[in-house]
Amino acid sequence: MRNDIFRRLLQLIPILLGITFLSFAMMHLAGSDAIAQQADASGVALSPEVMAARRAELGLDQPFLVQYVRWLGGFLTGDLGISYVSGKDVFATFVSKLPATLLLTGVSIALTVLLSIPLGILAAVRQNRFADYLIRFFSFAGNSMPNFFVALLLLYAFAVCIPIFPVISDGLSLRSVALPALTLAIAMSSKYLRQVRAAVLDELSRDYVTGARARGIRFSVTLYKSVLRSCMTTILTLLSLSIGSLLGGTAIVESIFLWDGVGKLAVDAIQMRDYPMIQAYVVWMAVIYVAVNLVTDLSYRLLDPRIRLGGERP
Amino acid sequence: MKKTRTMLLLFGLLAFALTGCGAGETSDSSSTSSDGKQLVWGDTTFNAENGEPDVNPHNDNSGWACIRYGIGETLFRFSDSMELEPWLAQSYEAVDELTWRIVLRDGVCFSSGRNLDGEAVKQCLEALVAQHARAAGDLRIAEISADGQTVTIRTEEPVPALLHYLSDPYGCIIDMEAGVTEDGIVSGTGPYRAVSLTTDTSLELVKNETYWNGTPKLDAITVRTISDGDTLTMALQAGEIDVAYGMPYASYPLFENENYRFASCTTSRAFFASMNFESEILRDPAVRKAIAMGIDKESFVETLLDGNGSAAAGVYPDSFAFGGDSVTTETYDPQGAMALLEEAGWVDMDGDGIREKDGATLTLRWLTYPSRQELPLLAESAQATLGEIGFDVQINSTADHNRLRADSGAWDIYASAMVTAPTGDPEYFFTYRCLDSSGSNDGHYHSDALETLAQELSRTFDTDRRAALAVEMQQILLDDNAYVFCSHLRMSMIAKSSVSGLTAHPCDYYEITAELDIAA
Repeated sequence: MRNDIFRRLLQLIPILLGITFLSFAMMHLAGSDAIAQQADASGVALSPEVMAARRAELGLDQPFLVQYVRWLGGFLTGDLGISYVSGKDVFATFVSKLPATLLLTGVSIALTVLLSIPLGILAAVRQNRFADYLIRFFSFAGNSMPNFFVALLLLYAFAVCIPIFPVISDGLSLRSVALPALTLAIAMSSKYLRQVRAAVLDELSRDYVTGARARGIRFSVTLYKSVLRSCMTTILTLLSLSIGSLLGGTAIVESIFLWDGVGKLAVDAIQMRDYPMIQAYVVWMAVIYVAVNLVTDLSYRLLDPRIRLGGERP
Repeated sequence: MKKTRTMLLLFGLLAFALTGCGAGETSDSSSTSSDGKQLVWGDTTFNAENGEPDVNPHNDNSGWACIRYGIGETLFRFSDSMELEPWLAQSYEAVDELTWRIVLRDGVCFSSGRNLDGEAVKQCLEALVAQHARAAGDLRIAEISADGQTVTIRTEEPVPALLHYLSDPYGCIIDMEAGVTEDGIVSGTGPYRAVSLTTDTSLELVKNETYWNGTPKLDAITVRTISDGDTLTMALQAGEIDVAYGMPYASYPLFENENYRFASCTTSRAFFASMNFESEILRDPAVRKAIAMGIDKESFVETLLDGNGSAAAGVYPDSFAFGGDSVTTETYDPQGAMALLEEAGWVDMDGDGIREKDGATLTLRWLTYPSRQELPLLAESAQATLGEIGFDVQINSTADHNRLRADSGAWDIYASAMVTAPTGDPEYFFTYRCLDSSGSNDGHYHSDALETLAQELSRTFDTDRRAALAVEMQQILLDDNAYVFCSHLRMSMIAKSSVSGLTAHPCDYYEITAELDIAA
């Protein structure tokens, strides 16, 4: 296991080099730069001399490769640079957004698990009955509605009509995180409960379930001790992908709920061509995906004895 | 069964935690608490993206936040008719073409406690030109000297608009001895003092107890950056904010009732189209004139912008002495435009609705960008109305417009937005857009008469003569149909009806003032 972890960490090096180079190149190919974008946003004209001076100050007048190598040099020495837009330290700015992202991820995943697993099991156990149809209908509806629409509906219902939650986030509180987390959880649960339902149905059709029933073992015992455990690898795979995605931030939801996370930071940085901030985000994404995949693989070993004993992987 | 119960219990606990902790609390922000009168201001524009990461006027466009939120004040300010009047200054004298002597008002002090005197202004302006490239380019200061309440500025060359430039938000006078905090907070002379700031999130202000020009009516103000228009709408509906700046036009009807009030004003932010004189078909004066006659400005403003703008004649709105109807231009006349094109030889030979002449079709490549919501709408409006008179308008709305507009072979018309008179003076627009020396004269427009008048404008100190020159220069642009000025932005702030003392200003600078108040 130790070798596996070490191997994954080694893999991170070429991944980081490749992905940071690609993102840097793509941002340059996209055209424009931070100086021009800011001039557009403010509507105040700048003379070519002023723009040239500001570009020179930020090193934007240098060739693309020089700019990348300069950024890479800073990165290797632990310096992620200064934001072209805010003029603030990139690392400090990025780190200041992480608590909000981590809280939103944690609560969203918890809500998703609490919604999708029981409802998925219920739909499977009540296959083709009213409960199953109802759950599948809501799953379909939840999948069909985009996040921003769900967010605005929830905000209107629970902050304007029935003012239980705030429109403006008042910091890292449970009250503030409730609606953005619920928005994300509705979208994810709508997708996952169908996967859980399919996985449970597949397990329920196995011989060991019939055997257990024939031996008089209570159905609930078989369901929770055997079926659910067997389904966990599927659920875990889905959740790990979601955790990776959520840790990367959810720009639209963050923007609507004024949730101060990394998603909106990244989208704003892309829009304003704030290269150092974009690169910090890219590094973060690479690291979390490698880390989440590693943790997921390790957890397979704990959950599934077949993998622990060197058998098939799910 | 036991696990089912555990799950149900977990569900119940979560539901309780999420709803119970909010129960019983209402979200009304207003207004009088044990800490005194408080107001919450929601704003879509206070962010780093707009160049306003903080309130330090020497940093990028942060002067806008400094002056708008009542932290800083400039030596001179603009009246409602955009004329200069003393503010921190008491009087001034143009000693010669290069020297300005400004006498400061007595009894003004910074929120840091320091008295405003010539030395403080000198320190501030020296720091400004050292750090702010645009200010340095505008002001062209050679030397500043201070003596008591008098400050003397000598410029490198004649700068007739110097006092206007000093009224730009970057000209907010701040106490350099108190300095700038790590968060970008400064000490100004305004009615409110910044106490905390988080970029792109919020700014906390408290009353400046030593304010020189009256007693601020509020004890504390929170400015919240709310980048999403729908969220801003709901925050005002829910009562979590008292004033909203930057509300989407579509939300206006929700607030057109007795519970809210609007403070509106036309600004000098213009939406206009520049012709490319390198384009073969636009060299034809008849084609340019037909375009000017074929854009329906009134419908664009009334229908597509829901009346949140005013149809433009020239560069400046009618709140300026040299704006509005002081110039004449083409009006919407599709029949006249068609006749004009026929006369010039542009005829639809093949019946496809697009006119041709000498094998060339009347195709216009319309370059614009999406970051201003009005510009794509203007493009579509022009595409429809110009299409009716025989133009084939091909829209390219792209964030990469800055690179493309530098390539005169890549477009025929470039539609953009610009604050045409940020300092109330007319010279700025011509300097940046229309002259041979202009950095953004992307369509390579040239007029000998305009160049001559621009030279005169750059040497003219008399305000009335400057206004007259501005009218003449605009008329040249309009007679050549080099630009089509479509509309000026109507800026609106929406407040609860309990808010008073909120006034929109044509320059869009003075928002939070000592008069701003909220009823308990």
